[in-house]
Amino acid sequence: MKNVSKIIPCYSADTAGVCSALYELGGMVVTHDASGCNSTYATHDEPRWYDIQSKMYISALTEMDAIMGNDEKLISDIVSAANDQKPEFIAVCGSPMPMMTGVDFDAIAAEIESRTDIPTFGMHTNGTHSYIEGASEAFDYIVKQYVRECPKTEGSGVNIIGMTPLDFKWRGTMDAVKGWLAENGLEYVSCIAMGSSLDEIRRAASASVNLVVSSSGLAAAKYMEERFGIPYVCGVPYGRAYAKAFAEQLKGENGGAVRTADDADTVIIGEGIGSVSLAAALSADLGISAKVICPLTCGDGILADTDLDLYAEEDIEAALSDMDPKTVIADPLYKYIVPDGTRFIELPHFAFSGRCFERDMKDLINTDIKEYFK
Amino acid sequence: MIKLALYGKGGIGKSTCTANLAAAFAMLGKRVIQIGCDPKADSTINLLGGEPLQPVMDYLREHDDDPNSIGEISKIGFGDILCIETGGPTPGLGCAGRGIITTFNLLEQLELFEKHKPDVVLYDVLGDVVCGGFAAPIREGYAEQVLIVTSGEKMALYAANNINSAVKNFEDRSYAKVRGVIMNRRNVENEEEKVRAFAEGAGLEVAADIPRSADIIKYEDMGKTVIEGDPECETSKRFFALAQKLIDEEKV
Repeated sequence: MKNVSKIIPCYSADTAGVCSALYELGGMVVTHDASGCNSTYATHDEPRWYDIQSKMYISALTEMDAIMGNDEKLISDIVSAANDQKPEFIAVCGSPMPMMTGVDFDAIAAEIESRTDIPTFGMHTNGTHSYIEGASEAFDYIVKQYVRECPKTEGSGVNIIGMTPLDFKWRGTMDAVKGWLAENGLEYVSCIAMGSSLDEIRRAASASVNLVVSSSGLAAAKYMEERFGIPYVCGVPYGRAYAKAFAEQLKGENGGAVRTADDADTVIIGEGIGSVSLAAALSADLGISAKVICPLTCGDGILADTDLDLYAEEDIEAALSDMDPKTVIADPLYKYIVPDGTRFIELPHFAFSGRCFERDMKDLINTDIKEYFK
Repeated sequence: MIKLALYGKGGIGKSTCTANLAAAFAMLGKRVIQIGCDPKADSTINLLGGEPLQPVMDYLREHDDDPNSIGEISKIGFGDILCIETGGPTPGLGCAGRGIITTFNLLEQLELFEKHKPDVVLYDVLGDVVCGGFAAPIREGYAEQVLIVTSGEKMALYAANNINSAVKNFEDRSYAKVRGVIMNRRNVENEEEKVRAFAEGAGLEVAADIPRSADIIKYEDMGKTVIEGDPECETSKRFFALAQKLIDEEKV
């Protein structure tokens, strides 16, 4: 059966993407789903749960609510909670059951907003897409709702877009990114949205360039380019040599590092922008040529011609078998579909294996990567 | 763009009215799309010479994958009307309402309106607003006006009243509004009085009065609308008048 994963897990779902994207921004996220337990979205996929408070709710949808189309219960519960909690905004997410009964989240959001005067938006999640789609829609909304024209910073101001703990180690990543920006004469403006706030994001139009660090940030970056004329560059400053070259690219001073994948005997599996950046860093820092297999939605032009976008376990397994690489770099749970005898380097990805390997997640930004990959 | 949904009791003549209205719009020079939202998938058959069109649900069932273009799930019929049928699940199984939502999502994904650039879109919807799926055609972005088809028969008026109430329930949402009633005569006793009494009570206009006509049946047997078969007959004139009225309102 096509698209059935028999060995590897699937990536975090779209709802988890929304929750992760909005976690630190002071809003209220309500997922319209059964059970009353929000651990799937907010605990298993959320390393900040025990350290940072956030207003994440589940509607506790019942069978009768679904049958009767009892939207009013959902609306009045959210209005009541919002009146108590006074969130900055409200996001209402779908899940599989509302998808089947055709709940109109845009209309529900409009009703909640009219009763509370709090910006409210319906997220078109249904639990069947990946976290990239959910986070992308959430970031797009936040930027459209809160970023307004403002004076530019004096230096080269940079927004980081598409940053969530689903793709990046929560502790340490933003410090490393800020350090890299400062080291290269670039000024940090905002991060959308890890280790940041809505107030910070409100000033995002003062930046002169957007740095898109995952495919989750592409839609928001494209909107900001169209609306505010802020260009965007995709990539993550991994390694030393690549991080330096990439900073120059961000400043518009050259074309950045050129990555070659001819005769590559290394394969990286993971999120598109992160994996392509790691391939570039392996090339620039260590002279290793690598191809990428991206099992997630990725923007046009991100992957090289030699890379593959493959979603089904059987396709990834077959591609690895055909390529017969010497080395595979991927989340530890991929090792079970890698051909025997292949060297496997573990690169835990929170959106794939959750907390299982959280403590082994690596610091690769603007640092020597030789010890991990050589 | 004129975006209309036609609702009414099962068997009351929604598909007949929708197809004739679509044909009238087309003959008045408009670029028209008709979307049948009924598992029976026979809304557009008389625009297509009596030839059925493969419904979207059947396409998905057969291919187990989304189509890449509108052309794969549509046919061009009389007056260059683009015809689409949502179809539905295997009778007795699945969820027909969900089928409509899935079809609409697919049409959005294929950028139907952006690419085809219609002047008029008509949704022909199964019987009653029985669940969320059958309300999908009146959601924001789809139909803006609802026409309720009814005769003077008690159960047709009962269904018409239910539909009007259902649409009113969505007043707080940016959904379609009921534009009026199409009186599709069955020649029951005091028919006009009964339909007008309902319309007046509901604050609705009788937007068209379609006579009971053998012409409709005659041309349907030939796989045609009456507009195509005899554009000069009285029935056709009524459909032309309704189409022109809606065009004039759109201009205002």
